[in-house]
Amino acid sequence: MRAFLMHPTVRRGAQILCGLIFLAAALPKIADLAAFAGSVHNFHLERVIPMAATNLLAMSIPWIELVAGLALVTGVRPRAGAIVYTVLLAVFTAGVVQAMARGLSFDCGCFGKAGAAKIGFQKLAENLGMLALGIVASVERR
Amino acid sequence: MDRWWSDGTETGPRLWQGILAIVAIGAALGMGQNVLVRRGSPKDGLAWRYEPPKLDSLESLTTTSSGGAPPAAAPAAAPAPDPMNNDPLGLGAQGTTSGLDVPDLPRPIQIQLPKVKEFFDAKAATFVDARDPDEYASGHIPGAVSLPGEQATTDPARLEKFDPQGKPIIVYCGGGTCELSMNLGFALVAAGKHRVLVFTGGWPEWSGASYPIEKGAGS
Repeated sequence: MRAFLMHPTVRRGAQILCGLIFLAAALPKIADLAAFAGSVHNFHLERVIPMAATNLLAMSIPWIELVAGLALVTGVRPRAGAIVYTVLLAVFTAGVVQAMARGLSFDCGCFGKAGAAKIGFQKLAENLGMLALGIVASVERR
Repeated sequence: MDRWWSDGTETGPRLWQGILAIVAIGAALGMGQNVLVRRGSPKDGLAWRYEPPKLDSLESLTTTSSGGAPPAAAPAAAPAPDPMNNDPLGLGAQGTTSGLDVPDLPRPIQIQLPKVKEFFDAKAATFVDARDPDEYASGHIPGAVSLPGEQATTDPARLEKFDPQGKPIIVYCGGGTCELSMNLGFALVAAGKHRVLVFTGGWPEWSGASYPIEKGAGS
């Protein structure tokens, strides 16, 4: 199992998959930044980051996803892309967990407005799966 | 390297450079996009500094209006107490002591849980649930009308047709900043409704307080 997960081909496959996930997540958000900004505000993160900065995050995150996605898919600095992917997903997952802990229910805007997914256990499971994929994609080659 | 792509061999400084480059290029592109959008039409872009929408709260409005100068209409609408009063809560009249009258303002007003409960007990408001129909079906404030925020903003005709039966409207949703109910509140005002109240605490506060709830999809 360990050898399988460390295999270059498996890692490359995981990277391409992560890249496609990020591209699919980035494009609808870039097309409708206002909707994504609304989702970011919904997470109610004023204890973690100042509310005034949430719009800057909302406009940057989709493009960071896009650039990281391209790096992953094309294989140009894919490990950097994979680490950006993994860290972002860890942050997103933490956001989902804290929203669930406070009983909030809203569309997370994760894949834009069209793929409206409510915050909940299904979303959490999805995120954990994608997070695991990111870890496989970012391990160091020995 | 004999091929142009790699499966991720970069380590150390090269890795950090890559990570920094991805974040910096992404953030620059995102802000660049916003600059261009705002140049086209400032309304479509995002504000560089986000300011949460601030609504006056009903609580502060009612205390200031009773303490300060009364509204112009109040003297005329405050007749001598009627011995045959069959409206002890004074819901039909203005300028009463019930504290449940809502100023007729062309903007939504925020309202907190205790006041919401007063309106509920007195049946003095029409409740509007801005959440999705499936959430509405799994529990809502009794008597609330389901008017999903997203659907309603794309269908303004539905808002104009909505009849609050002469009562103030209390909009609520799933809590948090509750942009859904905030937006629906503004949309209702835009559709010509007045006396629109937004209960930002929403469903989590109401159900958390163990107040009565109702289940089912409703009509």
